[in-house]
Amino acid sequence: MWRTSAVAVLACGSLLVNSGCAINRATASVTPGADIAAARTFYVAQTPEDERGIEKLIRDNLVKRGYKANAGPATANPPAADVVVTYVDRWMWDITMYMLELTVTFRNPTNSFPMAVGNSYHTSLSRLSPEQMVDEVLGNIFNKVKETGK
Amino acid sequence: MIIARSALSMRSIVLAGAIALLAGCATPTTYEGMVPTAFDIAKRHARSVSLAVSGGRETDAMDKPQITDAAFTQALAEAIAKSQTFSRVVQGAGGDYLLTVAMTGMEQPSFGFSFTVKMEAGWTLRRASTGAVVWQQAIFSEHTATTSDAFAAVTRLRLATEGAARNNIAQGLTRISRLDL
Repeated sequence: MWRTSAVAVLACGSLLVNSGCAINRATASVTPGADIAAARTFYVAQTPEDERGIEKLIRDNLVKRGYKANAGPATANPPAADVVVTYVDRWMWDITMYMLELTVTFRNPTNSFPMAVGNSYHTSLSRLSPEQMVDEVLGNIFNKVKETGK
Repeated sequence: MIIARSALSMRSIVLAGAIALLAGCATPTTYEGMVPTAFDIAKRHARSVSLAVSGGRETDAMDKPQITDAAFTQALAEAIAKSQTFSRVVQGAGGDYLLTVAMTGMEQPSFGFSFTVKMEAGWTLRRASTGAVVWQQAIFSEHTATTSDAFAAVTRLRLATEGAARNNIAQGLTRISRLDL
């Protein structure tokens, strides 16, 4: 009896864990009044907890898009740039570690005000590489900037 | 004997399935849960305000509780009315000031007994007649819900999310009340 119940509980746990395996989400928004279209230089501030070098992936992607970008530690006085970029990366394990979610925020360098934000969320079965996640998030932000003309 | 065992097994599986379904169903946040109960207001401005909220989204059944623009707007409007930060809230355009709030960040945990939700929103207050920015600030807030608040994880996460929004609204109105308008 207990064995059967244990199997059922394990099945339940498995359902709970696996029920989110095919969730995909990719969103971006530009804060009303923010002007990002004129920005040419970016400073990507490394998240203190990040040991995977995601800030370099974001910097490289910005450079690939034709912008001037630098990356370095998060500091109260970042180097001169039109936009400071911050990010939050979340990882999950399923056979191997993968990036579950990435949120990138473009901030006004003078007051850290969020000017635009992009977020991508892909669970295990539709996982993307960190480079693809960065490309998707930045692509969606810049598409939104084009849409709004700002 | 074998039949009794199969019946027991079926009952267990049905029960497990029900638990799995119930546990996975996120409930959306309510505006009532996002209205602060206490305010720290320095000045009550004798002007009207219009509201524009962005960055929210609907809650999917298998997702975590989210905040919609409409729910946050309603909570903010009620909080302004209760605190009297402005004389009144004007629906749509037409207020003396335009307050825009962009919800740009929400960190929600997936596991644990205590759920701490962190939220960031960009608040901007403009003079409606000129469009000039009077005040602009990113406001960070958080709230922790424990098992004493709710035993069910989905409810606990909803309460933590509403609490983070509630604190964000309270902080925003406190700062606006300190402005000289």
